[in-house]
Amino acid sequence: MTRGAASRYALPGAIALLLFLMITALGVGDMPLSPARIWAGLMRTDELAAAIVWQIRMPRLIVAVFVGGSLAASGLVMQAYFRNSLASPGLLGVSSGGTAGAVVAIGIGIAGTSLLVMPVCAIIGALIATSAVLILARSGASTERLLLAGIALNALLAAVTSFVLSQSILSYERNAQILFWLLGGLEDRSWEHVWMVLPTALAAILLWPLGRSMDLLSLGANEAQSLGVDVRRLRRIMIVLSTVLTALATAVSGTVGFVGLVVPHALRLMLGPEHRRLVPLALIGGGAFVLACDLIGRAAGGLRLGIVTSLIGGPFFLWLLRRKV
Amino acid sequence: MNALEAENVTVAGRLEEVNLSLPRGQLVGLVGPNGSGKSTLLQAIGGLLEHDGEVHWFGRDLNHIPVMERGRLTTWVPQETQFAFGFSVRSVISQGRYAHGDDDHGIDGIIARCDLVELADRPVNQLSGGERMRVLLARALATEAPLQLWDEPLGPLDVRHALEVLTMARQLADDGRTVVLSLHDLRIAHCLDSVAVLDNRRLRALGPPDDVLTPELLLEVFGVKARITPGLALEIP
Repeated sequence: MTRGAASRYALPGAIALLLFLMITALGVGDMPLSPARIWAGLMRTDELAAAIVWQIRMPRLIVAVFVGGSLAASGLVMQAYFRNSLASPGLLGVSSGGTAGAVVAIGIGIAGTSLLVMPVCAIIGALIATSAVLILARSGASTERLLLAGIALNALLAAVTSFVLSQSILSYERNAQILFWLLGGLEDRSWEHVWMVLPTALAAILLWPLGRSMDLLSLGANEAQSLGVDVRRLRRIMIVLSTVLTALATAVSGTVGFVGLVVPHALRLMLGPEHRRLVPLALIGGGAFVLACDLIGRAAGGLRLGIVTSLIGGPFFLWLLRRKV
Repeated sequence: MNALEAENVTVAGRLEEVNLSLPRGQLVGLVGPNGSGKSTLLQAIGGLLEHDGEVHWFGRDLNHIPVMERGRLTTWVPQETQFAFGFSVRSVISQGRYAHGDDDHGIDGIIARCDLVELADRPVNQLSGGERMRVLLARALATEAPLQLWDEPLGPLDVRHALEVLTMARQLADDGRTVVLSLHDLRIAHCLDSVAVLDNRRLRALGPPDDVLTPELLLEVFGVKARITPGLALEIP
């Protein structure tokens, strides 16, 4: 299929795929539900089906879609910002920053005090990591510099996380919670988590109209400025939005790696680099990718989401590196 | 009133107190040895570099014009650019219309004028240096900006495309735009209305090429001896 044809069918195709995966996610599990029973559950005419659909599968499904969309959009923004298709929240350490923030909140015992604590701590951690990346690797930095900055930052933040883990070794509950964040997963996600991740929708809406100026920025900051883009303002918005998207996703699901790398890159290969098209598709495609990975993990007997995305993303990243370097 | 007035433009360590006045509708060459400040001056005029001093366009301080409006008044073509993503040639050229509300006005004509019809759907990151430069120049034309700042546009071009670009620059100037381009090849200076010579981060001379490019100045600034000889005259048939 040509790029033109692919782009014409991409959005409806992605929406159809997402809907199919959503229905599948509602249907499969320890107690499989037929489409008719899913409908009955949704309409609350079947009490048992309603409990399974509304209390267990629906919140997990919504969190999966929001986490995936957020991470993919965040990766897309970072790639435009750094003018490098290998930039992504996981590789640059922004996800680790969010995780470290969340883990510190658990470690010092404030995570349970309010619904806002975890996302706020994750955002602070991710913002610190983002600032460090901005200092270590400016826009237009080489792939090597970006990756080295990411390696250094990931190592540093892993040390912070390990320190907190070693300090809470005597508390089983805290340790289990921390481990959850480190492995990344969607088990036991409730409506509370849906509310936590919901603000990403606002960030996504704010991102939508920036597509064209992101096109210009991705070809050079001075060129974009000369053509009428307020580069300083745009960069500020992009960095805040991508950090918030990554941090909120991390706050509800832990470290889910490679989504921000795989999804934008695959979409760019299929549809070309224009961000007006890529932004909505990254949101929907990212959601579909994480939902599919979660379904694979569930089918494989409870494999954690972070493990599944890494099993797919790791080889993809190596392939990309081989092509690029 | 002059179209462009630069007053004491200084960029720390790169450019010192450059004063420049250029009328509307001129084709101006910026020459000077490597590191003399040509690219820096173009970027400072274009508002792309923090600098001291002021740059006025018809009396308005360019630094205080909103970015979008400035995008319609001036445009800058970089010396070399690496495209990180595979945007199509057409898509990159249409970026020149960003400050005009992305209206795609005149894009097809510009593509034809810059000899890019066959490359229009090709990804820019697969083009040669010369082809990339033609795309950037086409994007600059698409802006319809009255002040065109081109940084060594002729460097990567073959002889025919270099002549075409010079012809294009001449047409723009004749249409009333001010085109400032940096260049190394002094042998084409006779095509220009005026020449600004930069030496060691300072403006050394400004005026018509025949008045400015004297053998004494060329020896002093470039360390070369100038001799007029009958050479190869090239033109587009």
